Amino acid sequence: MENVMDTTNPTATIKCWVELYSDSMYSWALHKTSSKETAEDLVQETFLASVQSFDKFKGDSNPKTWLFSILNNKINDHYRNSYRKPIVDGNAIFETLFDSDDQWKRDQRPQQWTDDTEHLLDNEEFQKTLQNCMGKLPDNWYSAIQLKFIDEKNGEHICQELGITNTNFWQILHRAKLQLRKCIELNWFKK
Amino acid sequence: MNTLMLSCKKASELIYKQSVIKLSIKEKVMLHMHTSMCDGCKAYQKQSELLDKFLQNHLQENETNVPQIKNNELKQQIISKL
Repeated sequence: MENVMDTTNPTATIKCWVELYSDSMYSWALHKTSSKETAEDLVQETFLASVQSFDKFKGDSNPKTWLFSILNNKINDHYRNSYRKPIVDGNAIFETLFDSDDQWKRDQRPQQWTDDTEHLLDNEEFQKTLQNCMGKLPDNWYSAIQLKFIDEKNGEHICQELGITNTNFWQILHRAKLQLRKCIELNWFKK
Repeated sequence: MNTLMLSCKKASELIYKQSVIKLSIKEKVMLHMHTSMCDGCKAYQKQSELLDKFLQNHLQENETNVPQIKNNELKQQIISKL
């Protein structure tokens, strides 16, 4: 049945799409998840799902656009799922940074960043450092950052949907920022 | 007097809060008093704003302008599963 006619053969068509688009889909998923394994899983799931729903694909739309829309849904589902999995000890970051009087520990006190910070955004090496530091965040902190952005950008109210009270959500983002700052200082400014 | 003095931990919380909503007058005064005396928190406040910029910029990238990475293993793996 598979080889009767190539144009109506979903598998052959999708194999061709894998050749054409899997690299750019992987690059995108990696950018959005900061995890090689997760990115690979999501791209693979996208192609497997595209076989299942191949008849929903309308030949007049761009296959790449269609595949990316499936992928983006999967990425967002991934954020939702990993946000729901609480991390072991969310307070550890405070204990790392602050002493028993809640003052910065001597070796953790933020130092002024001396580099020219204005041009860092155009610096590819710095972007890599940022990406690595984001990848080191606990999964649900990372997802919280992404979800907040999606909420703000699309007004999707995912945060409400996940039952995140404002205070709770802030606490997570606050911790994530403290940790990111530390990681960037160590891996960029003090390198 | 001590009730007016923030700890660094509390100050860092207010610095975060400030990036999301307006602080009350009292919070603003307390944070200002703290950062005028505490170099660590003063630096953190500045860096926190920078971090927001970094993140905003990172998250705003779209499909076409992220660095392209080849992954042939993945390609072969998917094809074998189709």
